[in-house]
Amino acid sequence: MRLTFINGSPRGSKSNTAKVMDYFIQGFLETPGNSCEIQFITRHRGDLNALAGIFSAAERVLIGFPLYIDAMPGSVKEFFESLTPLAGRCRNIELGFVIQCGFPETHQNRFAERYCEKLARRLGCCYMGSIVKGGLEGMAIQPKFLTDKYEYFFHALGLEFGKSGKLDPVLLEKLSRPEHIRQEDLANLIPFINKALWDDQLEKNGVLDRSFDRPLEP
Amino acid sequence: MKLLIINGNPSPGNTLFEEFTRDFISGLRDAGHQVREFVLRDMKIKPCTGCFACWVKTPGICSIDDDGRKVAREFIASDHVIIASPLIMGFVSALTKNAFDRNIPLVHPHLEAVDGETHHKKRYDRHPAISFLLQREPFTDDEDIAIATAIFKRESINLRSTLGFIRFIDTPVKEVLDAINIH
Ligand SMILES: Cc1cc2nc3c(=O)[nH]c(=O)nc-3n(C[C@H](O)[C@H](O)[C@H](O)COP(=O)(O)O)c2cc1C
Repeated sequence: MRLTFINGSPRGSKSNTAKVMDYFIQGFLETPGNSCEIQFITRHRGDLNALAGIFSAAERVLIGFPLYIDAMPGSVKEFFESLTPLAGRCRNIELGFVIQCGFPETHQNRFAERYCEKLARRLGCCYMGSIVKGGLEGMAIQPKFLTDKYEYFFHALGLEFGKSGKLDPVLLEKLSRPEHIRQEDLANLIPFINKALWDDQLEKNGVLDRSFDRPLEP
Repeated sequence: MKLLIINGNPSPGNTLFEEFTRDFISGLRDAGHQVREFVLRDMKIKPCTGCFACWVKTPGICSIDDDGRKVAREFIASDHVIIASPLIMGFVSALTKNAFDRNIPLVHPHLEAVDGETHHKKRYDRHPAISFLLQREPFTDDEDIAIATAIFKRESINLRSTLGFIRFIDTPVKEVLDAINIH
């Protein structure tokens, strides 16, 4: 089986998208005969038609991106626009998406997921589903049980996909937890994220006391 | 009211869109509003690189020194921002989205609970209302509109703004002008 993974993170190979999809691809490649080609949208910005060409010649494609203000990043939208001439003409392509975000609730991605499903239909692709996950920013400061979970589920999804060509719905559901976060858990989680993820970086850069600056104040 | 029109139409040849926007803006001026228009295709705005310098290195300022900063500055100084874009593949143009992504310096990295979900804290006291003026594609259906509308609603919550109106350029200009006064 041949897989084309298109990584749409503006951070390219150093992205959270790349990190988790590396586990998926490792699992995918455990089935003998499978092969995976990885493309980065950032490297094709000057000529997206070349990437559109790669897309149209592919059999199975996953497009991954981080959520940027509740939707795809602008540079990923550029790629989607380059697919306009292919609308309705991609019957031989199976297409799925990987959508992940910084906020801890996976639910935050569901609106972009609906968009992606419709996009797949508009192109005429067979929609394979999407891997959707919240809480992936700052993996370096997250507890090990969480990062182990990402590794386990992305690997397992890749392994199953490599055998069956399908995204396993049970694994997708387990990975996606928590879909929402209870009020009382938010009360503990928010101060932890604010301190461990943001204040520590602000402090390291010597600007913690300026974090609320308003340089664009009218 | 201080209004900002962000024109994200990539093709000047799309005269239906340009004429509507022109009439809309002159109607707003006639009604006494203070209006500024940014035509994104004539500006230099690079895509966000996801570096978060605007949160952790130079709080409130994007690391990219181009017109993206100008858009963010005018955005926060406005009472109401109208994003004007044709729908392309079911969403606002990439030109529009690239400029929109460059607005994250307007919020603070810290999270807080908003209606039971995490969102960012405000950086400024007043965040403008955000509205959308759109052009349908030949195949736009109700589902497309529902999908895009749901995302626009989320975006305005996430930027700690409020969603104003969503209108299409196939409605009379007057109707859209009236919508400004309601929101
Ligand atoms: C401009 C910008 C906008 C973002 N908007 C959101 C958002 O709306 N919701 C969210 O949960 N995370 C948001 N994030 C966080 C990213 O989705 C998160 O950091 C992601 O893990 C980055 O993945 P990457 O390293 O693969 O690019 C945003 C980040 C940036 C830079």
